[in-house]
Amino acid sequence: MEKEGVPAQSGGGEKGQEAKKAEAPLPEVDSSLRSRIESLFGERATVEFARPGRMQVNVAGKDIVEVARFARDELGFDHAESVTGIDRPADGQIEVVYHLGSYTRPDLAGHVLAVSTRAPREEDPSPGADSTRLPSLRGVFYSVEFHEREAFEMLGVYFEGHPDNRRLLLPEDWADMPPMRKDFAIKGR
Amino acid sequence: MEGKTTVPALAELPPGLELQRVDERIMTLNVGPQHPGSGHMRIIVQIDGDRIVACDPDPGYVHRGEEKMAEYRNYVQNIPHLERPVIHDSCNILYPYCLATEEILGIEVPERAQYVRVIAAELNRCVYTLYWLAIYGIFLGHSTMFMWPTGDRELLIDLLEKMTGARVTHAYLVPGGVRNDVPANFEDVCLRQVDYFEKRIREYAGIFYDNPILISRTRDAGALSRHDAVALGTTGSVLRASGVDYDVRKKEPYDCYDSLDFETSVMREGDAYARSRVPWLDMMQSCRIIRDALSKMPKSGSVRVKLKPNPKGPEMVSYKRVESGRGALGCYVVSDGKPEPYRVKMSVGSFRNLIALPYLLRGEKLGNMPAVYWSLNYWPVEADR
Amino acid sequence: MSVIAPRFKFSEFVKSIIENAFWIVVIMTLVGLPMAMIVLFYVDLPVIDGALVTPFLALTWLSHPELALPLLKSFLTSDAFRILAFPGFGFAALVAAGTIFVERKMLAKLQLRVGPFYCGKIEGILQLAGDGLKLISKEIIIPAKADKPLFIVAPLLFVGAAAAFVALIPVAPGWVVADVDVGLLAVFAVIGFFPIITVLSAWSANSKFPFIGGIRALYQMVSFEIPLILSCLGVVLLTGTLNLTEIAQSQQVIPWIVLMPIGAIVFFICMLAELERIPFDLPEAESEIVAGWLTEFSGMMYGLVQLGSYVKLYAFSALFVVLFLGGWSGPVFWPPLEQELLESGQTLGPIKLQLPGLPLFSQEFFSAVIWFVLKTAAVIFFVLLPRGVFPRIRIDMLLRIGWYKLIAMAFVNIFVALGLVYAGVVGPGGIF
Repeated sequence: MEKEGVPAQSGGGEKGQEAKKAEAPLPEVDSSLRSRIESLFGERATVEFARPGRMQVNVAGKDIVEVARFARDELGFDHAESVTGIDRPADGQIEVVYHLGSYTRPDLAGHVLAVSTRAPREEDPSPGADSTRLPSLRGVFYSVEFHEREAFEMLGVYFEGHPDNRRLLLPEDWADMPPMRKDFAIKGR
Repeated sequence: MEGKTTVPALAELPPGLELQRVDERIMTLNVGPQHPGSGHMRIIVQIDGDRIVACDPDPGYVHRGEEKMAEYRNYVQNIPHLERPVIHDSCNILYPYCLATEEILGIEVPERAQYVRVIAAELNRCVYTLYWLAIYGIFLGHSTMFMWPTGDRELLIDLLEKMTGARVTHAYLVPGGVRNDVPANFEDVCLRQVDYFEKRIREYAGIFYDNPILISRTRDAGALSRHDAVALGTTGSVLRASGVDYDVRKKEPYDCYDSLDFETSVMREGDAYARSRVPWLDMMQSCRIIRDALSKMPKSGSVRVKLKPNPKGPEMVSYKRVESGRGALGCYVVSDGKPEPYRVKMSVGSFRNLIALPYLLRGEKLGNMPAVYWSLNYWPVEADR
Repeated sequence: MSVIAPRFKFSEFVKSIIENAFWIVVIMTLVGLPMAMIVLFYVDLPVIDGALVTPFLALTWLSHPELALPLLKSFLTSDAFRILAFPGFGFAALVAAGTIFVERKMLAKLQLRVGPFYCGKIEGILQLAGDGLKLISKEIIIPAKADKPLFIVAPLLFVGAAAAFVALIPVAPGWVVADVDVGLLAVFAVIGFFPIITVLSAWSANSKFPFIGGIRALYQMVSFEIPLILSCLGVVLLTGTLNLTEIAQSQQVIPWIVLMPIGAIVFFICMLAELERIPFDLPEAESEIVAGWLTEFSGMMYGLVQLGSYVKLYAFSALFVVLFLGGWSGPVFWPPLEQELLESGQTLGPIKLQLPGLPLFSQEFFSAVIWFVLKTAAVIFFVLLPRGVFPRIRIDMLLRIGWYKLIAMAFVNIFVALGLVYAGVVGPGGIF
């Protein structure tokens, strides 16, 4: 079996790659997106990274609805593809990332705008009754309904304004902490 | 004890256990999880006579915590268990994970491996679609349409077995290429099978898709307009049946798809018939892609990049999408510099299409429920992950 | 919990058989024979052909089989034989079993598989027997909140109604269980029982899916009974009788399907709906309502309903043959039996078999039955065929077909029949 391919580049060469990626000029669509977001929101929305077709914007919880509305109405991102909750115990926060895509704008078809926001993390969670709360984007993007329900049960982020904050995948009698938190340990691991 | 009620007041109940007002006209049906027309999920349907007034899908019966498991294994160990949600479409569900991991690890996939991946993914799409079509047939009471695709699927599975060594859970795609090269006479065998397969799916149209009873039954059943399909964030065949020309293979070509010759299959009607016809059109396109890829594939070369044991990437995130049998399949991988991913999120087509189910079933007749439900190209196991 | 032969030993097996035989002989001798004597003492035994029929005749027949003939002859002409065996339930059940076998194999061939294959060595011919054994040996589970008497009696009623339907079908000249003058009306009366039984069983199960299935069956059967009845009216107008035997005999020249194809088509479609066959199997639509009104039946209760529905299938097909395909009429192709055989009998080695005047053995009878069975089999084939071709239709489409299209077509058929009568084509002085 021939395996004389390119040797692995993992581990060592990240620095160079990072530099290469940062240097590569962004296509015009990406840079215009970036400049429009930055010019409108300024300090409130910081661009985490921008690669061709991918961009992540960090927003505070209180601004998320406004940014999402702007992304929908002005930028042309018409649907949310996924809502990812990421537990960040080191920062004491839970990150929620919305991946927005566009079906109607042909120039944005290959683009995904990630809007990231953070909610405070409780050491002793009681989902729905603690300070881990974020405004829901259900009013802006209808498609986040089930994704936000999943994030609620998996990480305990309560989405205010979501009409249907019930369990989705977990059983109704789940009594443990939200399972996707880092302090929920799998047996034997 | 008198004076005390055993039922707590509404506000005290935990989420999911609210009491509901009982209406005499409304009958609540639990379609699933033990029901021949539900799959591994429950659809709570409220009917008034023969008309569905409300529908509440309740997935999660096969939730296995794939995403949680992925946080405890390194990038390569994750391969065999991440394909479990859709074992029929295992190459496609591993595809975005491999792409995202390759971006994080900084790997370029050899050209031959790209073509082999595409062929495997397209064969797998056909295998999945045949299975889906079989169940769609039996949901509509058409037993011949159950038997034919399940029989023809065997041939493609045999082909994939020759290619990968396993019948369904291939674990064929790995970060950096594919696990092993294709066998020596693969090209001839594959072409022969694809020719036969294309002939067969034309026959499906004769017995199933052009059947007048089927057409009158599924026409206008659960029609989804173009605007709603976009607003609901549906994907894959559901979206394309509503007239939105969106295919990740075209719009954001990955691997060697930009060099292959195929078309996006789109229909305008948006009803259950169109939604069931689009996967059939997709299978035709898959045959075309496989033929084209076989002719353009480099005859020799490496199919896999050697990885270090326990490969690590920098602290970065990667979100990659592919077009699977059920629509766009995104994989969001967060790396924190350790050999294990910090977070893996699969944004699966089934889960995204599920939101259309309560929307479409409201006001629909009970007899349309299986047709509308299964035309959403929904795979319960994948949605639960 | 029973364990099947944990340690099988052939010697113990033989021993158990011998022991059982021993005890059977002992008990028969000590209890059975005295009881038989006592019964024989009090019971008046029948006298056939001047000979008293006693159980001891069985010993005589061992050496002289021809002596059993009078009894056999009288049994063959008795009502019990007609009800249980030939034109009645036994024959219908046999045809039903054949139907199930043919359906499985035909559907399998259509769907590129083999169907029943192993049980019975030859093309799985014993599969049905195996299935029956399985159903009998299964536990019967009755839902806790079911109305138990009704729930238990519903499958029996279903089979009973199907058997009553069979009783009205003439198979050969003179071979019918109940030869009533209003045969066709009686058929409709019997058909009218099926929705009632279905709703009864569905309601008594006290479960949601059977309830929906029962209501669907009620809608379906009621809306298809009307065109069914109307489509038969044409035949009644042409023949001027409701007696099924006379209707069959009136088609010696030409079967009515030639003159009234519309009526035959309407009747056939209604028949499919009444039988709950695909594409009209909504009351049992498994992807929507599990198994419809059969959901809560288990074990042999389910088996009885299946038996009843296949017996019903035979009865409907036979009714179609009687009404539209000319019943048993057809060219006589059975070679005439030798006069010698009928009068003096046949010598088969050491046994001399005498069958003088046995009612089953005549040229006309054989020919009629064979034609009837052939035609019925053809109709059954066309009833089975849609299952491999069509998907299930929806209830509103079904009702629209029943109430608008089929009733309108049935009326067209009636006017065709009236035109034939008034034009003098059919009837006294007509061509036919």
